[in-house]
Amino acid sequence: MAGSKVQKIDIPLFMPRSYMSTEVNKTGSWRFLRPRYDEKTAPCSAACPAGEDIARIEMLTTQGLFKEAWETILKENPFPAVCGRVCFHPCEGVCNRGEFDTAVAIHVMERFLAETALRYDLKPLLEQSPGKKEKVAIVGAGPSGLSAACFLNRLGYACDVFEAASEPGGILRWGIPEYRLPLPALRSEIARIESAGVRIITNKRLPADFAVGAKGNYDAVFIGCGHGRTTMLRIPGEDSSGVEDGLEFLNRIRRGAKPPVDGLSAVIGGGNTAVDVARSILRLGGKAVILYRRRRQDMPAFQEEVEMALEEGVELKELLAPARIVKDRKGLLITMRPMKVAGEDESGRGRVEPAGGKTQEFRVRRVFKATGAEAVEEWLNPPGRQRNVLLLENCVLVNRAKGPAVVFGGDLTNETKSVAHAVASGKAAAIALDTFFREGFKAVRSRLKSCAVGNGKALSMEIYMGGERRLRNPHVVRFGEINTDYFHFAPRITQPRLMKEERLNTFKEIDLKISANLAIREAERCFNCGVCNRCDNCYLFCPDLSVIREQDLVGRHVNYDYCKGCGLCVVECPRNAMTLEEEKR
Amino acid sequence: MELNALDQEFMHSGHVGCPGCGAAIAMRFFLKALGDKTIMVLPACCWSVIAGPYPQSTLKIPLIHSAFETGGAVASGVRAALDMKGDRETTVVTWAGDGGTFDIGFQALSGAVERNEDFIYVCYDNEAYMNTGIQRSSSTPYGAWTTTTPGTDWKKLRKKNIVEALVAHRIPYAATANIAFPEDLVRKAQKAKSIKGSRFIHVYASCPTGWRIPSEMSIKIARMAVQTNIFPLYEVEDGLRYTINYKPKEYLVREYFRLQGRFRHLTDKDLDQIQEMVNEDWELLLRKAGEHA
Ligand SMILES: Cc1cc2nc3c(=O)[nH]c(=O)nc-3n(C[C@H](O)[C@H](O)[C@H](O)COP(=O)(O)OP(=O)(O)OC[C@H]3O[C@@H](n4cnc5c(N)ncnc54)[C@H](O)[C@@H]3O)c2cc1C
Ligand SMILES: Cc1ncc(C[n+]2csc(CCOP(=O)(O)OP(=O)(O)O)c2C)c(N)n1
Ligand code: SF4
Ligand code: SF4
Ligand SMILES: [Mg+2]
Repeated sequence: MAGSKVQKIDIPLFMPRSYMSTEVNKTGSWRFLRPRYDEKTAPCSAACPAGEDIARIEMLTTQGLFKEAWETILKENPFPAVCGRVCFHPCEGVCNRGEFDTAVAIHVMERFLAETALRYDLKPLLEQSPGKKEKVAIVGAGPSGLSAACFLNRLGYACDVFEAASEPGGILRWGIPEYRLPLPALRSEIARIESAGVRIITNKRLPADFAVGAKGNYDAVFIGCGHGRTTMLRIPGEDSSGVEDGLEFLNRIRRGAKPPVDGLSAVIGGGNTAVDVARSILRLGGKAVILYRRRRQDMPAFQEEVEMALEEGVELKELLAPARIVKDRKGLLITMRPMKVAGEDESGRGRVEPAGGKTQEFRVRRVFKATGAEAVEEWLNPPGRQRNVLLLENCVLVNRAKGPAVVFGGDLTNETKSVAHAVASGKAAAIALDTFFREGFKAVRSRLKSCAVGNGKALSMEIYMGGERRLRNPHVVRFGEINTDYFHFAPRITQPRLMKEERLNTFKEIDLKISANLAIREAERCFNCGVCNRCDNCYLFCPDLSVIREQDLVGRHVNYDYCKGCGLCVVECPRNAMTLEEEKR
Repeated sequence: MELNALDQEFMHSGHVGCPGCGAAIAMRFFLKALGDKTIMVLPACCWSVIAGPYPQSTLKIPLIHSAFETGGAVASGVRAALDMKGDRETTVVTWAGDGGTFDIGFQALSGAVERNEDFIYVCYDNEAYMNTGIQRSSSTPYGAWTTTTPGTDWKKLRKKNIVEALVAHRIPYAATANIAFPEDLVRKAQKAKSIKGSRFIHVYASCPTGWRIPSEMSIKIARMAVQTNIFPLYEVEDGLRYTINYKPKEYLVREYFRLQGRFRHLTDKDLDQIQEMVNEDWELLLRKAGEHA
């Protein structure tokens, strides 16, 4: 438009500029799946007869919180120094890490923590219930009796423990040799139990009518007298001189004697007693051959012990059952009948029967019977099924019409005879008696069930006492539920040991200590199945900034105002400590 | 994870990214690493939407929405403006999708880095034009279904190697990163921040919607991209010095493809062929890094 006047208008520069955040959009309304924190049960803890919270113990260990880790064991098991050494660790058999590379060395960590507590003279701080009026007498200061006392004490009951021997500990003190369980380790644990207020009266063998007479003094009696007598072989010549009782032999050694064992000795049996007797014979300068009626893989003794025994020079002859023993001028001649495998029992152990054919003879200086043990006196055996009797896992509760209730536990009742099962007995008895006193006989069974670890057989005192662990989902975490992308192959720790040559002339402990460094590294191998270790993956990967860490950084929660339910937190949680479920609005 | 130190958040909740969005995760990590002295340039892409409709913003830092093809140019301008104000402290970052980087924005990017403009260019790669409905880009991998490569017409061309294209410009720093490797990602972002001149970071960012994968799998799949060598983690300094940051064990690409709906049609034979392509690329990278296979 040539020549026309253009009017100049001043248009202000305008850039639209946002001035509020997106937080007005409550994107939580999109959600049809809902993540939540949901700690679960680790398989190891469900398999541990004492129900130890292993996933948490290992987590605390990796953080260097050794005292807290040790206390976490003590909540469920007063004997970590013992069990870290002699427990056959069924926990490791089911460890999820076993499907990845090799199981976590749980027992090595347990022993390390106990050792650390001992070295620094740590005093545990454990939950303690207020005092109760009832009093409990405990017969036998083996691991079952001492555990019962320890747990009852924690629940507020005064306990007196009566022990026939001159020192408490049962088989731990008078049976298991020192090269596996040194005295200071045991004594420190018993001292801790005593210092919590348990009274132990030694050199006091209680008579059969004790429970009846206890009325007035005690409201309940726990009987944990163990299986102290070796069973008979029932063969001719069994009474000959030179035929000895294996338990009695071990007991003499633990009393400080050095029984003569020159020449070759035959040890009959396949359990821990047989192996311990044979290995003790070597250490005293003798030779030993174990004669066992089944095969090596059927031996109830721990495979690792058998292996070490063979390495040290013990001989093993399988599929031989004793037929007779003859004493002559030259010593003993033991005749063995060959056996053969005829199927398996429910547990997969070989069943054997005589194979016929030629017998074998062994010329030996001594024969040690180590075939199994039984109660010393008949009254120690628990009654069978009756109306006033509860046959529980690892103990038997008898509600007597007159006089105090009686609980039988430990080897007297347990199908599997082990220290950890003895601890389980003590715990079951304590919970059963507390429930019996407070809620009555009928409430006992369901109460015990409610504190089962992962709905299994193991019980948790922490759950019973209302601790945090009661919030765990009983679901047992499977290997497939672990996000293995977050774990790298790492070899299991090798337990340092005395060399074979160093072992043979002493009863010094074979397993050596490990450093804190190695312990932490081993603990880091643990997946912490089902237990949040605060790795923060959930927080990190949330695209919607909806995982909120509490001020203390320990707790976390999901902000459902914005969580869209993508599920990333749940999948990226390495250890299945979260759950994704349908949103129910 | 060491990232606990990076507690600060520069993003708000309430953004409208899809559930499980890898691009949202990538942004969150980057901002944690770069801090609040950052200005972001955002060419059209999914993030234009995620950032919020006017007058909302999901970022706690200033950002400029720009035209689709202008990521390199706008950043150059913002940098120049800051320089004129004497602000050398603020980092300028272009945050663009693969379409905006590999395709339409490529000339602006190439021009800017040729001038060695002082900014960080982040391409979050979800391997298609997702914002407009899953159209293929030159970043879409061989074998993928998209709405423009449907049915039997799935993409039969290779993905462009964008990092090598940038490396050819001899820029001071070029790197790949992945949302499943936050430590590596944060380190690279911080390293980029400490360098002057043009820096380029190619971030793998899974897209549950466009890839037809469950939202909860987006990190898992991102991780597998690295584990299978489909998306190697490496960095190149001055266009010359290669460092491979992660050497996976032998994982098969097959497992990565099997998890994604966008590859469902591929046969075993196709997958074998893809495996060969991946092996070939990996060996080429090893050679460049001077680490013969
Ligand atoms: C040689 C040997 C090795 C073993 N090795 C292992 C091992 O490595 N790991 C493992 O887990 N298990 C092992 N066991 C099994 C384990 O020792 C027992 O299962 C466990 O000790 C049982 O505990 P308890 O409390 O029931 O009985 P015990 O430990 O037998 O204790 C019973 C106590 O009661 C006392 N007593 C008995 N009668 C009376 C009475 N009338 N009045 C007062 N006190 C009385 C006894 O003197 C004894 O101290 C081994 C057993 C033996 C014999
Ligand atoms: C010049 C121009 N052409 C087309 C569009 C439409 N458009 C907006 S975003 C987009 C796709 C972006 O793809 P990409 O860069 O890969 O980012 P994504 O959405 O996948 O995150 C397109 C085509 C546009 N904004 N400008
Ligand atoms: S990995 Fe750890 S928590 Fe899981 S089973 Fe093994 S020891 Fe237990
Ligand atoms: S991801 Fe880590 S922080 Fe989150 S719940 Fe699982 S273990 Fe805990
Ligand atoms: Mg894209």
